Amino acid sequence: MIPIPRPSTPDAERMIREHKECIDSMKGVAGNSVLKCETPGDTTTVTGGIHEDLQLNRVLLRMRAKPAKGKLVVICTKVEKEWRIARLSGVRGVPPEFVTDKVYDNEQDPQHDIFLMRLEEMPETDGFPEHFREGWKRRDDQWTVT
Amino acid sequence: MTWMKITGYADKFSVHPEDTIKFYVNCDGPAEYKAEIVKMIHGDTNPRGPGYIEESIKADCNSTYKGMKQEIYSGSYGFVADKKQFQLESVTLQCWIWPTTPKTHPKYWKHGAQGLVTKWCDGKGYGLFINEDGCVEFRINDQVISTGAPLRDHAWHFVAASFDAKTGEAILYHEPQVVYALDPEIPPVSKKFSTKLTYVPGTPTVIAGYCGGMSDAPQAQASVPPGVLIKGHYNGKIDSPRVCNRALSRLEIESMKLGAQPGLSERRNSGPSGKLSEAIVASWDFGDGINTIFGKDKGPYLFHATIVNCPTRAMTGYNWQGHVFDWKGAPEQYGAIHFHDDDIDNARWQVSFEWKVPKGTSSKFYAAKLTSKDGDEDYIPFWVVPRVGEETAKIAVMVPTISYMAYANEHLANNAGGAELLVYRVPIMQQQNMFLSEHREYGGSIYDTHTDGSGLCLSSRLRPILSIRPKYDHFLAQAPWQYPADLHLIYWLEKMGYNYDVITDEDVTYDGLARVENYNVIITGSHPEHNSGPQLDALHNYMQRGGRFMYMGADGWYWVHSYHPAYDGIGRGVVTEMRRCESGIRTWRADPGEYYHQGTGELGGMWRFRGRYLHTIAGTGMSSEGFDISTYYSRTEESNDARVAWAFEGIDYDEKLGNFGLVGGGAAGTELDIVDTMLGSPPHTLVVATSAGRHTEGYLLVMEDYGFNQQGLDGTQHPRVRSDIAYHETPNGGASFAFSSIAFCGALPWNNGDNNISKLVGNVLNRFMQDGPLPAPSPEAIMHRGRADYDQPLNKTRK
Repeated sequence: MIPIPRPSTPDAERMIREHKECIDSMKGVAGNSVLKCETPGDTTTVTGGIHEDLQLNRVLLRMRAKPAKGKLVVICTKVEKEWRIARLSGVRGVPPEFVTDKVYDNEQDPQHDIFLMRLEEMPETDGFPEHFREGWKRRDDQWTVT
Repeated sequence: MTWMKITGYADKFSVHPEDTIKFYVNCDGPAEYKAEIVKMIHGDTNPRGPGYIEESIKADCNSTYKGMKQEIYSGSYGFVADKKQFQLESVTLQCWIWPTTPKTHPKYWKHGAQGLVTKWCDGKGYGLFINEDGCVEFRINDQVISTGAPLRDHAWHFVAASFDAKTGEAILYHEPQVVYALDPEIPPVSKKFSTKLTYVPGTPTVIAGYCGGMSDAPQAQASVPPGVLIKGHYNGKIDSPRVCNRALSRLEIESMKLGAQPGLSERRNSGPSGKLSEAIVASWDFGDGINTIFGKDKGPYLFHATIVNCPTRAMTGYNWQGHVFDWKGAPEQYGAIHFHDDDIDNARWQVSFEWKVPKGTSSKFYAAKLTSKDGDEDYIPFWVVPRVGEETAKIAVMVPTISYMAYANEHLANNAGGAELLVYRVPIMQQQNMFLSEHREYGGSIYDTHTDGSGLCLSSRLRPILSIRPKYDHFLAQAPWQYPADLHLIYWLEKMGYNYDVITDEDVTYDGLARVENYNVIITGSHPEHNSGPQLDALHNYMQRGGRFMYMGADGWYWVHSYHPAYDGIGRGVVTEMRRCESGIRTWRADPGEYYHQGTGELGGMWRFRGRYLHTIAGTGMSSEGFDISTYYSRTEESNDARVAWAFEGIDYDEKLGNFGLVGGGAAGTELDIVDTMLGSPPHTLVVATSAGRHTEGYLLVMEDYGFNQQGLDGTQHPRVRSDIAYHETPNGGASFAFSSIAFCGALPWNNGDNNISKLVGNVLNRFMQDGPLPAPSPEAIMHRGRADYDQPLNKTRK
């Protein structure tokens, strides 16, 4: 399996750079992908990112597959004006909680900051067979959703 | 942080001029709120589009109203009002249960004991419960016995308990249906109680809950029965609950499993005979009346239980044999009701204000806009729809209200770990999602699972539906979805000056062909995914008779829906039902034997698996979905065919069609439809533009189209991951134009409606709205065409 690189390694630095460039190029798009718009904010031609960097692709998939409990999300706190980062509770009826005080003025930047936060907090071997236990990769929930 | 202090709903989705629509408002905090009727033009706040647009309407209900907090009492249960026959000295209770959350997390929103069969309130009465430790518990007043053996979740158990007033002895039985090799034995437990049963007056007998108290508070009027607050909602199935008026022996309890069948004669079989039958107070048979909201009592007193908040019925019972899959064929094997603590059929709020829609009010999208001085805000959307025969335009916009209901108050970004994989980015939630994540009583969508993980297959419109709101971006698209996305189309129609009526799925379902036949063209919303049979019949009849159809979205005609007939008495289309069966894009999957709707008895699932292929309706059908970004279309050679070339007047052949938009940045995106004659597209269909080859890895083929998981199913590789814009003629001068992408309408408002997507749609609409049959195609276009050998350019040169 492809490990999640430690944040200061050359691999991680390359991925962080690529991720940032992709996210920055998506500013203005009503949507987002870790792909690079040839013209910023215009999805007519997209290249790079998840389509060309296999390691980044695999690491992102691992991050996206994390269980709902404790998962980082973005909350729009003022429509078209303010966004913040929060964490899901994993318990139904218990709402997400903000995890930082940082307020973003666009919906793309928190996507990149969450990538950085995950590089820091996820073990290098996350999802490796050594982690096997009952419910391994069952995403810790009893729900069948997606 | 309080996310939404004002929420509300109306008693109707569609209202005719001269009829009255009632609004119900929860104003939790502000002393007063302002209400005004507005016409909805554009709901998308994206600064790259025209921005939010509404128009104030003069209405006699526009005013400031005193704020009142209103409560929703969700959680399903059955009850029988207080009857003296239930006020017993000795008692036996029994039922089968299939619990789904016998033990809950301490922070769970309804953590605590769950009632199974109870006549218990405030430490008085009797009842079978599941306690906080997940064990069966029998209560006699404030005395308790429990087996101490935790219940297995998702498994049938027989449970029974008796109390003998004379001896004071209470016995509790807990018997799993399947006993595994290493399971400890669970012997009956007994205890002597020195108490006599007493009762709080007015305590109902409750199935799947218990009486938590009575209240005179105005908000308590929303509970059923009014003022009686039910607590301890049970999650799971119950089958055959029974109450007897004395302590039965174990053998008698066994005999009671046969149920009650009165009217013993020398010729008729009967349930318990002789003395045992005299013990029966109530014996509910939920296999009878599955399409109703009553739990039939086969006991002597006919204490039929009122079923509140529409739990799931037509569920396999403890005795399901796996041979019959339709409940109508063996209702006795479908005696289970699956109750959920988050079921909701009707918020039952008090009316806050109402509006008699004046005669002559234009048929459009409207909303009651609610605001407070502190900046709190909510909108209650509704549609003014002309009466049949009083149409005011040649164009009808068919608002996909069943689909809106299917997505109502959806919780996926908050609950589903996989949501981020689906959308290929971190989900963004809005105040509506945050409010709902805390207020589970507002219920979920048909995309959600209940709080116990079981599929949510029923949705009511009689509750605030915070996803049917302007200014709401959905996590799937990071842009408007469904209602606010359909306002992209409305903005365009208004901007271009078209006169149009609006009709809803509900109107077409209940009125049939009469509702649509007077229009020259029907335009759909961006995602008419969920449809009733009568609605599809009406569209089919309309198009066969020369009607014109513009399919503005994708993933249409996918799921089988039906309105639950038990709610017809309080309005049209109140509760809709959908079962996620054999295949298709399913956030949950119906269990074996549970594919048939409880309301209409019809087979649920995809229309495709009922032989009604998606592609037969508009010409194209669902192929793939992905939610990261959208792309654009290119014209095909077929767009130059004289049958359709008129649609591209003013558009160059090489133009990129829709490389812009307010959903994903392009016209082709989120969910995509294609032509497939083997799945029902007429063989004379012309594909006039396609987005083939341009989608991202986040786009994947729908699962009903393949039998093996394999590499290469994504948008960078699979040939079916694309959107086809397609045209075909129907008999009698009718036609259909399919634009085949959910993101498509999001391109219409771009550059204030001055763009090539707008041009294309305008060309089509101008032709389709004309009176009389469309011009006939040239005679050489008429030829024999096969289905499997469909290849349009080759058709032209076929020998």
